[in-house]
Amino acid sequence: MNPLIFMKLLRKTSWLLLPVCAPLCFIGCATPQATRVDSAGGRSLTTVRGINMQDWNDAADTMINSLRENFINAGKLQAPEGKPALLAISRIVNNTGTQIDTDLLVKKIQIALSRTDKVVTSTTIGVGGVADVIAEEEKRRARLLGVEPSRPNYTLSGKIIEQTARAGNVREASYVFQLSLTKIPEGVAAWEEERTITKQGTRGSVGVW
Amino acid sequence: MRILPFFIIGVALVALAALPGCTTVNTVERAQPIAQRQMVDDKRIVTDSSLNRRVQIVGVNQSNGAGGLLKVQVEVLNTTRSLQHFNYKFEWFDESGTVIGTPTSAFLPRQLEGKESMFLTATAPTAIAKDFRLKLLQDLR
Repeated sequence: MNPLIFMKLLRKTSWLLLPVCAPLCFIGCATPQATRVDSAGGRSLTTVRGINMQDWNDAADTMINSLRENFINAGKLQAPEGKPALLAISRIVNNTGTQIDTDLLVKKIQIALSRTDKVVTSTTIGVGGVADVIAEEEKRRARLLGVEPSRPNYTLSGKIIEQTARAGNVREASYVFQLSLTKIPEGVAAWEEERTITKQGTRGSVGVW
Repeated sequence: MRILPFFIIGVALVALAALPGCTTVNTVERAQPIAQRQMVDDKRIVTDSSLNRRVQIVGVNQSNGAGGLLKVQVEVLNTTRSLQHFNYKFEWFDESGTVIGTPTSAFLPRQLEGKESMFLTATAPTAIAKDFRLKLLQDLR
């Protein structure tokens, strides 16, 4: 096409582009707004460094499914006659570089186990302080009156380990979740599970490192 | 004008080279499997046909354990030759069709290499769970 004819045509039709281009100008002006996202959905942020909500959900789901499938559904759970088994939460060691609240994993497991009606969790036995101080005080009073409190049938312990690697601009972090269920008083592991979550990203990526 | 076809071919070649490498999975298994799966007749509602083309459900089977909890296993297959990311979530229902809430009722991310199949398994949260539903969602990130 002749360049002169093309320029004339462009001049005559340029007004048609206005309604298309005008909204594009406003996109850049929009201020970022905070939005709520479903923590159980797939839209929460994922970073290489640190354990994100999706990672806690993933690890907890693996642990709970394994407990149900390999321990409860396999008929290995031993409980007192007509009663649910009593579980006490022992130490969950944090071997990562960041401070984390292990309840993000353990509480989900406690809830899932209590929903099976086959296991109850003690809130008055715990490492580094009990979950319910008033219940602990009442239990102490009951013991003075000669009422012997229930002893746990199982304890839950574990470890969260972090392993990092770097190759050029790519960074990788692996988080290993290890849990053990110990039979009391025998002191042998009745169930064990491990889940590793590995994440990769580059330093330059937004919200990745 | 003579250069134009060569330029187009050059651009197309560069574009092809820039595509991510396709890696597919080879498998081997017993020709006559001993295990017999208890397959479940399933009903599928497809709203994302693009995801359905890439990650397909091969079959659904279930079993009951000694503890009385229903176990479900869904086989999914990546029909493409490239890595696919997706999310999945199981929902459980009691005899009256009421949903049973669980603390881990969340979309979980998974990835499949080209032509790879995977089993998504879940054990019912309680003995009253009689039905289930699997939701598949494309990677949102």
